[in-house]
Amino acid sequence: MSVSNFRKAKEKAFLIAVGITTLIAILPLFHIIATVLMNGLPPIVAKGPVFITGTLSEGGIGPAIVGTFMLTFLSSLIGLPIAFLVGVYAYEYPKSAIGRLTKALLQIMLEFPTILVGVFVMDIIAIPMGTYSAFAGAFALAIILMPYVAVYTHEAMRQIPFTYREASFGLGLTKFKAVFRVLVPVSKRGIMTGVLIGMAKVAGETAPLLFTTGGLYQSYPHSISQPVGAIPLLIYTLVQSPSASDHAMAWGASLVLLLIFLAVFIPIRRSLKEVKL
Amino acid sequence: MNEYAIETKNLKISYGDNEVIKGVDLKVLKNVVFALMGPSGCGKSTMLRAFNRLLELNKDAVVEGEVLLFGENIYSPDIDPIEVRRDVGMVFQYPNPFPHLTIYDNVAIGLKLNKLAKNKRELDERVRWALEKAALWDEVKDRMGDYPSDLSGGQKQRLVVARALAMKPKVLLMDEPTANIDPVGTKKIEELLFELKEDYTIILVTHSPAQAARVSDCVGFLYLGELIEVGSTKDIFEKPKNELTEQYVTGELV
Ligand SMILES: Nc1ncnc2c1ncn2[C@@H]1O[C@H](COP(=O)(O)OP(=O)(O)OP(=O)(O)O)[C@@H](O)[C@H]1O
Ligand SMILES: [Mg+2]
Repeated sequence: MSVSNFRKAKEKAFLIAVGITTLIAILPLFHIIATVLMNGLPPIVAKGPVFITGTLSEGGIGPAIVGTFMLTFLSSLIGLPIAFLVGVYAYEYPKSAIGRLTKALLQIMLEFPTILVGVFVMDIIAIPMGTYSAFAGAFALAIILMPYVAVYTHEAMRQIPFTYREASFGLGLTKFKAVFRVLVPVSKRGIMTGVLIGMAKVAGETAPLLFTTGGLYQSYPHSISQPVGAIPLLIYTLVQSPSASDHAMAWGASLVLLLIFLAVFIPIRRSLKEVKL
Repeated sequence: MNEYAIETKNLKISYGDNEVIKGVDLKVLKNVVFALMGPSGCGKSTMLRAFNRLLELNKDAVVEGEVLLFGENIYSPDIDPIEVRRDVGMVFQYPNPFPHLTIYDNVAIGLKLNKLAKNKRELDERVRWALEKAALWDEVKDRMGDYPSDLSGGQKQRLVVARALAMKPKVLLMDEPTANIDPVGTKKIEELLFELKEDYTIILVTHSPAQAARVSDCVGFLYLGELIEVGSTKDIFEKPKNELTEQYVTGELV
């Protein structure tokens, strides 16, 4: 065997090895999706549209779906503007005390156990208010959302080629206008990616809701100062029940959660590909 | 009114401890194309960015000495760098129209954000005027709402010339504007310089002696951060006084 044939064989073996390893790595993901599909589809099909629109006693998870959207929306309302400003500020003033502090703080917050956020918010909001509420849950989720959005915003700002920065300042713009009217729009796709990832993250959270939102599954939520349900929280509750029909419901709810997640995640993938400047 | 558009007095620039411009005294007449030439790394881009205080975006850069713009020191404490940058437009080595803005908005953005147009009609007129000055109007007049990504490199570069001209600057700095575009685009930009110098003073950075010879009225030769020789283009290329200059213009020094 010639040297070059040997090298080709080695390359081929290497490629096959990489292929197999990749397969092993992504197999669990497919397994999860397949399991959720197989177990989740039958209860949804059996119940029909009521599964999506009905209350729990009607055999549906409607209030939980609405609750998840409500919590995600409220937490975004609280968290996104602050996180966005923090991300921009930390990038634009990296040496300032606040800039350095936020960067360190963001790292910690990213890794912070989310259940502790729940305990903290229970202590400062739920207990003083005397009730679980959508607001308390959204506040906890906002704390979890913010570091993701801030870190992605920071990264998006960092990836703007320096020449665009020079071009905008070169037009005699103030720093505020150059940053917020030109550079932020240049990197809007990167920032949007962070926003979507943050929202997808909080839409699937359970732990921070345990002691903050309570739960509401027999009727639709109508106030942010009242308890509210959420799909992950409902799954958690249903799985603990001994009844098989509750378990089936939990699988159905899991499939709905997965679909919501994919509906957010696929656009993210698309927008990520487009982050070309 | 001062006869010089730009004048530097003992200009020194360093990045940290690294001094890259080592005491330059330069005078640039009004309404000329002044070519600043020299080999790669000699400090051309750095010096150019001192003329509109854009160097301040780089926190490590320290400027000493004076830069006079029509007789006024732009580094004196009472001068606002933002005002300076409105008077001194810039075109960069890499064609950099803003990718998220339409062709129209790329030209209009400086006017819009600085609130320099009274109404939409005035803005439209100024955009058109700038694109005509940049010899791009005929090519883009039917696609003002398109994004610049489909333009050729040469068109993009003329678009950013228009973006700079729309601000009605007095001086136009160009940092190797043809380094990244094709020969046809290069020719168009070079032709443009002849038109523009009637109204503006142009400082053109180039590493190509041939380009300097083609387009400029006066030349400065910068070498390792020192201004070796300045003069009319004719003199510099036909009878350079300094040996380094001679070596550079004949292509022996790279
Ligand atoms: N941002 C920076 N930080 C530190 N040093 C820098 C920076 N920019 C440039 N320099 C240094 O300053 C010197 C001059 O660089 P400059 O870019 O001004 O040269 P130039 O003549 O424009 O070169 P070129 O023809 O390659 O564009 C070089 O030695 C370079 O390494
Ligand atoms: Mg340069």
